[in-house]
Amino acid sequence: MHFAGYPLSALLGAFGIAGGLAVVLYILKLRRRPVPVVFSPIWRRVLGDRESSRLFSRLKRWLSLLLQLALLALLALALGDPRLGVNSQEARHVVLLIDASASMLASDVAPSRLAKARELASGFLSGLGSNDRMLIAQMDANVTPLSTMTDDVAALEVGLEHLRASDTHADLGRGLSFALDSLRGRSHPEIIVISDGAFPESVTRHVPPRDGVELSFVPVGSAAQNVAITAFSVRRYPLDRSRYEVMLEVFNTNDAPAEVELSMFGDGQLVQTGHLSLAAKERRAQFFPNLAGADRTLEAAIELPPGQDFLSRDNRAYALMPERRRTRVLVITPGNTYLEAALLLDEYLEVTNVKPGEPLPEGRFDVTILDGLSVPAEPRLGGLLYLDVPASGGPLGHRREIRDFGFDRWDEKSGILRWIAPENIQVISGHALAPEARDQIVGSSELGPILVAGRRNGQPFVALGFDPRHSDLVLRVAWPLFVLNTINHFVEEDTGYISSFRTGDVWQVPAPGPGELGWISEPGGERYRVAIKEGRAAYAGIHAGFYELAVDGSDRPPTRFAANLNDLDESQIAPVAKLELGGSEAGEAKGFASRARHQIWGYLLLAVLLVSALEWITYHRRVTV
Amino acid sequence: MLSALKRALGGTGRGLGPRREAGKARAPSPVLFDDEFQRKLETLALVSRRVFAGRMRAERRSKKQGSGVEFADHRAYVPGDDFRFVDWNVYQRFGRLLVRLYEEEEDLSIYLIVDSSASMAFGSPSKFDQARRLCAALAYVGLANLDRVTVVAASDHAGALMPATRGKNRIFKVFHFLQQLEASGVTDLSTSLKTFVAQHKRRGLAILLSDLYDPTGFESGINVLRYNKFEPYVLHMVEPASSFAGQEGIVGDINVYDCETGEEREVTVTEQVLRNVRAAHKEYDAAIQRFCTRSHVPYFAAPADQPFDELVLGLLRRGGVLY
Repeated sequence: MHFAGYPLSALLGAFGIAGGLAVVLYILKLRRRPVPVVFSPIWRRVLGDRESSRLFSRLKRWLSLLLQLALLALLALALGDPRLGVNSQEARHVVLLIDASASMLASDVAPSRLAKARELASGFLSGLGSNDRMLIAQMDANVTPLSTMTDDVAALEVGLEHLRASDTHADLGRGLSFALDSLRGRSHPEIIVISDGAFPESVTRHVPPRDGVELSFVPVGSAAQNVAITAFSVRRYPLDRSRYEVMLEVFNTNDAPAEVELSMFGDGQLVQTGHLSLAAKERRAQFFPNLAGADRTLEAAIELPPGQDFLSRDNRAYALMPERRRTRVLVITPGNTYLEAALLLDEYLEVTNVKPGEPLPEGRFDVTILDGLSVPAEPRLGGLLYLDVPASGGPLGHRREIRDFGFDRWDEKSGILRWIAPENIQVISGHALAPEARDQIVGSSELGPILVAGRRNGQPFVALGFDPRHSDLVLRVAWPLFVLNTINHFVEEDTGYISSFRTGDVWQVPAPGPGELGWISEPGGERYRVAIKEGRAAYAGIHAGFYELAVDGSDRPPTRFAANLNDLDESQIAPVAKLELGGSEAGEAKGFASRARHQIWGYLLLAVLLVSALEWITYHRRVTV
Repeated sequence: MLSALKRALGGTGRGLGPRREAGKARAPSPVLFDDEFQRKLETLALVSRRVFAGRMRAERRSKKQGSGVEFADHRAYVPGDDFRFVDWNVYQRFGRLLVRLYEEEEDLSIYLIVDSSASMAFGSPSKFDQARRLCAALAYVGLANLDRVTVVAASDHAGALMPATRGKNRIFKVFHFLQQLEASGVTDLSTSLKTFVAQHKRRGLAILLSDLYDPTGFESGINVLRYNKFEPYVLHMVEPASSFAGQEGIVGDINVYDCETGEEREVTVTEQVLRNVRAAHKEYDAAIQRFCTRSHVPYFAAPADQPFDELVLGLLRRGGVLY
């Protein structure tokens, strides 16, 4: 026997102190209270035949003391948490990784694979040896420990109760790394993975070295039928923002054709229905042009006959359309017909023209266009578009004057140059700009940067290094597109371009206003605190649906955005019976036969109760007198 | 907590004295015989006269035959008898010499024997105080009727004695004597009454005021009076009911000791034990009454918590004590 709790010396010390105290109290207890009576022969007559002998009375007292000392000894032993058999050095240390990815919500195993995994995990808990310790971790896109490395089965069961599925893929590599870190330096390390095994090959091929850690795999799942929405995107038409276009990709992972009923909901109302006939293993991208009826949110849902689809989580997808509101634009220009014409193209713009030197109008603007000049930056001016940005007073300076140039390099992913072919633009004269380190060079000639985007004190800007009228840009269709793209860039930021995020990734969500702290509301209603840096909040969402980001102290409405699973690998829910990692196969979990845990302290406390009851019955019920 | 520890270390229980005071009574109440008490005595004396009007005179015939005027009996003449008492009429008719006997008139001797053992002071209200009040009241009635009243204190020996006296104006002497008495010592009625009998040749009414908690047995004490031709009357000072009620708080492991002998006994008291003790006390009182009835000894129970004037009046109405 050994002690897993307090060491023997501490127990002896505690018992000595408590025992000494008990003896002192016992001696005090022996001094009975003297009570005079009027005629003791009457008491003798009453008690005479019941009174025990002097010897027995003494023995009874000693028995009382012995019972009290026995109680203390049992309690001290219980504090020591004595264990029978092998000592703790030979105990197993187990990390139980439970797959909580979206595929674990498949209902091929009633009620779900995750429930089955929880049931299997409970079996492992009941099969833990008295010295074994276990850590339970939830494995999805992240790894979340649900307990400490403990032998307390109750704590492990509580941790297991907190197991929740997410709408993400499972990152097995991250899970294994976590488990190996947790087991480093521990005796008899072991990792048990409970999963349906739907891991991409890229993951299973490259796993961290296990260094003698035993790996076991417990498969879950029985069927593979599933049809999923694997991509969903929406965009407004630039010149008619009341209409939009939707791209939807549906993947039939089954080996048989599937008939899919499609529904689309705009702002919660049904706006489109359709029927898709998919061949076996067919992955089809479908465009739905020129749709109307939705203003902000769009949701797609597919439905299949029973038995053809066991995973419902990937049957819905969410997208958010750019907010359709009038954009307030302040134009400070001595007069620019091309600019005025370009701004007339968009009926959702509310343009205010101001001459240079005139006082700026009151109110907040989304965008301010500065035509060859600069003004002191103010947050209420919104995003700043500099045309032929001056060398001083603007966000960046000039490197040098250049002539006869064009766009030789540009950022194709930048929304500012969306639908534009910059290579055709010819410029007579301008300036090569001098961007700062964090600025984004959107376009440059061989002579230097000529189109730069960035932020100064949190306020975004786009600077053009030449006067558009000194180029053929104003004669091209690219000119109004550039102006409108830039306005959209300021107003919508990335949410206008990315109609939804992917769950499991770390999102950089543009904040609706300046601030350092904000709240993110999840689709389920939970709210989490987030930090905002450089106008963006970093957040790793794990649930599909619509989110909101609000900034503390900002009077602007919260930013809404959507998130989807959109994972081809995760939608292929065919379970695997064996797990091969790095060329070796994970074994079966052994040594977890259900058995009683040999933790003696519970029995010791039971003995304390029994002895206490015996002492109470003997000395307090007064059956002896 | 502190009081519990104090009790554990030998402190006093509620209303009960420590063990070292065993066999010693409390100090007598300084206002035992106050003006109110004396007024009640006057009232009792008047009431007693009214109750026994017509058959109560200021004297009492003794059974002693002698030179009185009331014929009592005849007996055979023996040489030496006074010729004046020879009944010549009988001699004339029957030829036998018989002497006429007359009842001798003499004043009654009343002995008030107050138990002054420590047990008399036990409980509240005190039996000892009640006994002294009763004694004073009876003495007053006796003195008022010109009887010879003697007051004796008895415990394990014949203690203080107030010699025989008569006359109502001597009641203050009685008061003073009773006031000086202290309840102490062990009850031993047999020994103390033997001493009393030896000291008092003149027989009379012996009123015993005692709780009769005699470890040697209450019967022997009463029998001493009976066998020596005294007329015993037992005024049993009964333990007040409140004394038992107070004992409900002594449940637990305690060390009981006799208030007279100091005899100790470690007991564990439960409610059942207390009930048994109370029942044993009642049985003890009943045994006393049974014995007195069998022995033709008048018995009167005098609870310590009952007003003394009610008790005296009850005694007088019942009769047999004084008249």
